[in-house]
Amino acid sequence: MKKLFITAVFAALTLASCNNEESAVNTVESMKSPQMENFDKAFKSLGDPQNRPTEEERKRNTSELSDRRKALLVPASKELILSTGITEAEITRKTNGDMSQIIVWATQIYMQKSDEIRKNIKSEK
Amino acid sequence: MKKIITLLSFAASVAAYAQGALVINNYTTYDFRGDLIAHNLISPCYPRVANNTPIIVPADSHVGNGLQLQYENYRVQFINSLYPMAEWSVSTSANTTNVRSWDNNSLLPGGVISSNTKWGTAKFGMVYAGTTTNVPGFSVNISIAGNPCYTYPDYFTTSSGLNSAEMFTITSGSNVTAYLQIY
Repeated sequence: MKKLFITAVFAALTLASCNNEESAVNTVESMKSPQMENFDKAFKSLGDPQNRPTEEERKRNTSELSDRRKALLVPASKELILSTGITEAEITRKTNGDMSQIIVWATQIYMQKSDEIRKNIKSEK
Repeated sequence: MKKIITLLSFAASVAAYAQGALVINNYTTYDFRGDLIAHNLISPCYPRVANNTPIIVPADSHVGNGLQLQYENYRVQFINSLYPMAEWSVSTSANTTNVRSWDNNSLLPGGVISSNTKWGTAKFGMVYAGTTTNVPGFSVNISIAGNPCYTYPDYFTTSSGLNSAEMFTITSGSNVTAYLQIY
């Protein structure tokens, strides 16, 4: 009987720990700012039928994402940069409006923010 | 000690410029299973570096949920990536291929191999999640455009048009990031 009881307690603990793990995953998603979510969506939207590379774009001899498609990433990138307190004027001064620079900058901010969220969750545990 | 760490992190940052990072976003409901190839972009295209065991990026793994594959370089990936590669297959000529551990000196950031290879090609099959069973019509060879060594297209779409894949770069100054997007 005692053995059975211990097994039951152990099983309950195991279940509880699995549950916790799941809630941690949910938290990473839920702790993302709206600006981060929009940045995700922009990247994913490159696969939408109207945003896929055109015949002409595919004939180019460069691997660089076309300007038309980079432009799809710029609004969300700018939003994300602005959300850190950097002003529109600063963005213009630093990047000269260069789309690649804006996207790369936003990507760095995004990665930093995801790392911070992950660290916060770890320290809460 | 501090000096060594500073030096190492500096070396790492230099390598990020040379080799460039690679990001795989898998937005599909299938697992990615396959090989990534980095190589010299000038013919005869050596050195060439490929993963030594298949890389698997599970279904629905992308920047949106932080589960994307991200390799900063051959070395740091083993420490930082969610999909660490322990060994690389390194070819220096058509007849010379060696398996190198991730921390082998030849793969040091800023070293000869890192400085002379760029992510150029991926060969993969999409498999049903958690299996090794290929999804019919979704096996892909893909290269960055203008690749003189592997002349695969840089864009792929399944016959139904429901799924597609593409490889491109985003370059800012000397910072080149290669993306493999699978939708």
